[in-house]
Amino acid sequence: MSARRVLDVSGLPHHSFEKDSVWWGNWGLLAIETTMFAIAIATYFYVRQNFQLWPPPLTDTQPPELRPLPYLTVATLNMLLLVISCVPMILTDLAARRGDAKRAHIGLIACLLFGALSITLRAFEFSAVRFRWDSNAYGSIVWFILGMHLAHLITVTLEAFLLTLWTSMRKFDMKHRVDITVVAVYWYWVAAIWILLYAIIYLSPRFSY
Amino acid sequence: MAKTEKREEKKVVETTRSLSEESDRRELERTWVHGTTMMFLFAVPIMEGIGLYLVPLMIGTRNVAFPRMNAYGYFVYLFGGLLLYGGFLLNIGPDTGWFSYVPLAGPAFSPGKRVDIWAQMITFTEIAALVGAVEIIATVFKQRAVGMSLNRIPLFVWSQVVTSFMIIFAMPAVMLASGFLAMDRLVDTHFFNPAEGGDALLYQHVFWFFGHPEVYIIFIPALGFVSSIVVTFSRRKVFGYTPMVLSLIATAFIGFGLWVHHMFATPLPQLGQSFFTGASMMIAIPSGVQIFCWIASMWGGELHLKTPLIFVLGFVFIFVIGGLSGLMLAAVPLDLQVHDTYFVVAHFHYVLIGGAVFPLFGALHYWFPKWTGRMLSERLGLWTFGLMFVGFNLVFFPMHQLGLKGMTRRIYTYLPETGWGDLNMLASIGASVLTIGVLLFIINFLYSRRAGVIAGDNPWNADTLEWSTSSPPPSYNYVYLPTTQGRHALWEKTEDAPVVVGLKTDCREVLATNVMDAEPDHAYQIPGPSIWPILLALATAESFGVGIFTPWAFPIGAVLAFAAFFGWFWSDPNSENREVKERKVKPKPEPSVKLAQQEEGA
Repeated sequence: MSARRVLDVSGLPHHSFEKDSVWWGNWGLLAIETTMFAIAIATYFYVRQNFQLWPPPLTDTQPPELRPLPYLTVATLNMLLLVISCVPMILTDLAARRGDAKRAHIGLIACLLFGALSITLRAFEFSAVRFRWDSNAYGSIVWFILGMHLAHLITVTLEAFLLTLWTSMRKFDMKHRVDITVVAVYWYWVAAIWILLYAIIYLSPRFSY
Repeated sequence: MAKTEKREEKKVVETTRSLSEESDRRELERTWVHGTTMMFLFAVPIMEGIGLYLVPLMIGTRNVAFPRMNAYGYFVYLFGGLLLYGGFLLNIGPDTGWFSYVPLAGPAFSPGKRVDIWAQMITFTEIAALVGAVEIIATVFKQRAVGMSLNRIPLFVWSQVVTSFMIIFAMPAVMLASGFLAMDRLVDTHFFNPAEGGDALLYQHVFWFFGHPEVYIIFIPALGFVSSIVVTFSRRKVFGYTPMVLSLIATAFIGFGLWVHHMFATPLPQLGQSFFTGASMMIAIPSGVQIFCWIASMWGGELHLKTPLIFVLGFVFIFVIGGLSGLMLAAVPLDLQVHDTYFVVAHFHYVLIGGAVFPLFGALHYWFPKWTGRMLSERLGLWTFGLMFVGFNLVFFPMHQLGLKGMTRRIYTYLPETGWGDLNMLASIGASVLTIGVLLFIINFLYSRRAGVIAGDNPWNADTLEWSTSSPPPSYNYVYLPTTQGRHALWEKTEDAPVVVGLKTDCREVLATNVMDAEPDHAYQIPGPSIWPILLALATAESFGVGIFTPWAFPIGAVLAFAAFFGWFWSDPNSENREVKERKVKPKPEPSVKLAQQEEGA
């Protein structure tokens, strides 16, 4: 009976901050959703070909408005807010890696506030688009993009909320510290893709015709 | 005399007419539910299902990366299938074809709930497909056996990874298509309504941007089956591993550039059509490379003509015919001529049955011993193949001719003067032969499961890791994870190949390795069974099922889903371990592994 060689892995750590399977799983979700937004953007420009004027004139106001462009103020504010919210998220991410529970909690709570504020402002963005979803194809696609992004904004905020609950009420353990770093990636994605979507919804109609 | 005859004839005509409208719809509905089932509920799920079972075994790990997501995906798929068949059995099944083109499927021409059921079912099953795809990618990237670097992954696993990436980039398109359609129907959006600036062709673009990659999503896993079977039964290393992998990836990329060839009959710019003709012909190149690599592998090997290999040979024959009619259809003028005829029906059955179902049957015969621990009857297997092969060609070969003669798709009856009767009779006979073949397989399956010859761990003397564990494998796959020294793990196993020790055996602990070289990185516990995935699936089902009737189902579903997520997140991830400890059940170590001495592995 010969001796069997073995590879002992009992000394290995139980978690890794470097691209573990949850990180890959999260990127899987983001790849799916990026594709979804890409096709939504393609739809936006495809439908645009059917319009003489984009957005189409608003005829039910007195007097009729030839170019009812979506209002910029709230939307721009919200876009900047989302970009700035990445700063507390980066600090939270770093704190989670270091194992600094206190700073991670402060950061998470700051992010939650940013998330809640951004969701509230989004409600006003729907009316900044001058059409309803059932007015015409322009209204449909713009509401769709706004709505899908809102769904992500709510999801990522709730995810951060659950992690805040767990790490403050239960334990600031390794598993959930890794989770915080993964939610951070999701957060950056939500902010980054909004810069593009914001430019398409609010700016692109201003640079045409 | 003549008068009575005439009256009777008239009566027959009238009866036929009164019946015809309902029975027309019913017959066609059956065809469309067949198409929808095969594309969404059969082909993709069975390929992914086999992948989710075999991939962890083949890369030497204990489970997929996210077993609870796996459960969620399964239940969503189940509820989607129930929704479609519930509708069908209640006589409110979809009646606008498996692709439900607008404007026919739009709110103006299809009132009622039939198309809504279709649209929601699509969104459902694609969630399941996406969940499975993400799992396979994470599992293969992070949980491979130590030593299984990227250039040593079995071709079957490569095919699953490539398919998963295709799913990630293709399925969102169909979810948008069906989602936009459902919104047009339910909340009065105007995506496909030309009167308000929408566009009916947009639906076809978005649908086929998924629809063509879908064909390869079905076909590429089958290529994985074929590679596994060819290697095992040729008893030699695969010819051209690198070109094979590159061909899979090339197929996946080109597969996204073909969708417009489904739309050659629409008014698109000719330049665009030429581009898609070129791409459609180009995809024959990677397929050809693989076919030649298999032939070379078999040529240079020592062939063992068992049932699985025979099915593969049948696949090569049928698929080449399907590929040739595909090349014909890629040319715009010919496509326009036979568009929407039985020629197209013949073509896609040749590529889908030939390209996916024959390899699938080969795979079922090949892995049956692993799944059940017993062998299928070889004799019945050969009969199954013979009947299926003859039956298949009898059904579908005449359809080429019928299509050229002008028989259109989506009809279930025709006038005798058309002269299509004889060939259709031949096809019907073929269908019976094919059915007998499949029934024989079911008999073989049921019989061999109870009374087949005991298979042992590796009855075919195959090369991949799944054959190193017992048959059937324990739920944890491996007590001591294997390591690999080459592409053909079991054939290239050295005498002193180390096994992995130090992972817990009383809970679901797996080894994470790094993506490129599969060196050990960390060990982590994957969660045990839980009630929350099914509750989340129910919340999803509520959104889409009740969503057919009121859009409020979606906010309600979102709240329910959050509740389920909260439970999922907050509950004990390792409920199962507690149970194991209480019952003092410990997995038995494999008898073949003797741990006499521990030393650091090379």
